[in-house]
Amino acid sequence: MMRFLRKAAVIARRDFLATVFTPAFLMFLLAPLFMLAFATVGGTGARMIADSGDESRTIVVIADAPLAAQLDAEDSRMRALFPEPVAPPPIEIRTPGRDPGAQARALIENESIEIVAVLFGGVDDPHILFAPDGERSANYLGALFENTVEAERAASFGGAIAVPERETIQRSAATISGRQATGFTALFVLFLLTLLLAGQTVSVLAEEKGNKVIEILAAAVPLETVFFGKLFGLFGVALLFVSFWGGIIAFGLSLMPDTGAALAALDPAIGFGPFLALAIVYFGMGYLLLGAVFLAVGAQATSMREIQMLSLPITFFQMAMFGFASAAAAAPGSALATAAELFPFSSPFAMAARGATDPALWPHAAAIAWQILWVSITIAIGARLFRKGVLKSGPSFFRSIGKYLRCGRGSKSA
Amino acid sequence: MQPAPALSANGLVKYFGDKRAVDHVDILVPQGSIYGILGPNGAGKTTTLRMLLGIIDPDEGHRELLGTARPRSVGDRVGYLPEERGLYPGMKAREAIAFMGALRGLDWKTGRERADVMLEAAGLGASAYEKIKKLSKGMAQFVQLLGSIVHRPDLIVLDEPFSGLDPVNQGRLEDIILAERDRGATVLFSTHIMGHAERLCDRLAIIAGGKRRYEGSVDEARATLPMQAHYEPREDGGALAAKLPADAVRDNGGYRFAVPEGGMEALLQQLLDSGHGIAGLSLERPSLHDVFVALVGEETVERMEADSDAEQSA
Repeated sequence: MMRFLRKAAVIARRDFLATVFTPAFLMFLLAPLFMLAFATVGGTGARMIADSGDESRTIVVIADAPLAAQLDAEDSRMRALFPEPVAPPPIEIRTPGRDPGAQARALIENESIEIVAVLFGGVDDPHILFAPDGERSANYLGALFENTVEAERAASFGGAIAVPERETIQRSAATISGRQATGFTALFVLFLLTLLLAGQTVSVLAEEKGNKVIEILAAAVPLETVFFGKLFGLFGVALLFVSFWGGIIAFGLSLMPDTGAALAALDPAIGFGPFLALAIVYFGMGYLLLGAVFLAVGAQATSMREIQMLSLPITFFQMAMFGFASAAAAAPGSALATAAELFPFSSPFAMAARGATDPALWPHAAAIAWQILWVSITIAIGARLFRKGVLKSGPSFFRSIGKYLRCGRGSKSA
Repeated sequence: MQPAPALSANGLVKYFGDKRAVDHVDILVPQGSIYGILGPNGAGKTTTLRMLLGIIDPDEGHRELLGTARPRSVGDRVGYLPEERGLYPGMKAREAIAFMGALRGLDWKTGRERADVMLEAAGLGASAYEKIKKLSKGMAQFVQLLGSIVHRPDLIVLDEPFSGLDPVNQGRLEDIILAERDRGATVLFSTHIMGHAERLCDRLAIIAGGKRRYEGSVDEARATLPMQAHYEPREDGGALAAKLPADAVRDNGGYRFAVPEGGMEALLQQLLDSGHGIAGLSLERPSLHDVFVALVGEETVERMEADSDAEQSA
């Protein structure tokens, strides 16, 4: 076993160094910059609309019936001023309980409905309590209150108008939409990374086949070792890539003011630390699962042309896994979600998203064990196919399939 | 008691599709010997070597390498130069040698140190830090050869090691093979050039059409054919041809024929008595070429020689 690992390390080391110490790697490493530039330009506008137009948000007024009726009427009048996409969230009226302050606090803390701002305390002692992401809604509530009371004063009694006292509170728990967003983000990032990085393994053998080094490798070490070494060499490249960008993002976040509040809304159910750790583990699993399949498939190709042809179905396969896992993330706890969490090739993505919304840790332990089992199965089968594909003389695997389809006969692996 | 053979194989068979590429080949390589596998291109030499080394498994038959039936388990004691040469073009020469050593379990540091020494000895010391892509094809091939013996293996298998080398480097390679044998290693190589086999091999096998046609020492191979006599008569008369053996052919102002089974004496006596006299007489051992022709046929030998000519002029 030690010998196996030592030799796999020789191959992994070679692949890692040959990939990393090239000018092309710098291009590869910096490629996400282009994406970021476009995403920033396109994203800013979209975000402005999305912020206020989020339909799952609500604002609440805790008031007695008469004031509530007046506020409601004023709300209808003011709301008409806003075009639909930027209208404030809908208002709900609640009857005051014994302690409206605590009531308001409880509303914002509530995880099942996303309430971003609450007005309470009546005409005499108005307060607005709002979540960090509910500042606009708080402004709206303030304006609504002032307009209502001013109209009232003009109509009947004089006296000073009390200005609502504003207070922002940190949510101790994250919101549903925030968590789902975290889940989707994790899912998307994992997908993007595996799409970028696992796909590389398809063509990794082309080099050795082209310059005949495969002869040396095949003679010196079992092809299973070559397979393992190549997979892990590129995994090292992938980890380097991920830690580079992970480091930059973490550094960027630490420089931004006030990130604590924004992050609190996204706080995954199992906590940031475990979530991040799990995301890294799931990235590893996803990479190894898909990478092993692609490496094995790539080894069947006999030319660069065939490899180029292969990259399309491979991208589609990854897209399908992404689609499957995101459908699961959109409906946590559903049968679809369970299916995506169980199916080996979508499991890492689906489970990463699950970590955002479900606080239980044991499903992750089970999923990781399950995925490790599948990583071993995939590597074992992949290595065998790889062995056949690499040393075979005679028509390629794909040519044999073509022949088989045309004539309805012939063997798959001549 | 004879030491166990370094390598033995019985009845190796390999099919590629419907074609039987190797057909019941037996080989026995004594420890510490230089063993040649001769045959034309496409005879099944490479496939046989790959089966012996466990790179591919035979469909039938049995092989034993350094005392084990699982050749991969003794991979670190084997050095192999494949027929299809190739190194990573971006690697430096000494690094490539150390890399090949590392694949066989040698640590990198020792590998690099030995690489420097070996490159120096092979006259490539100046190229130790050159990338493979900067080297000539012959130099790169030499680097690969050094890489396949850097871990000082007990068994060295070289597939067509001479092809692609100029005569100077072929000579260097012969020296290396002899030096490795003197170190105690067993060397097995395949070739289609008879000269190398004739000079180097203690034993050899001849493979053609996937079948083993001969196995034994070079001398034994030659002994399969009778000695050749070249006779020049003093008086070449009409009746002379009838007195000579039936296989005599005119050659170079005289006649060439196989020495008769009973020896030359009776024939010579007869020639002297009949007055033809003896202007010249030489007895020659048959060359490996003649043995080859007898064993595998003129056509196959011609193809082999055409292969090697094409290579030399390439």
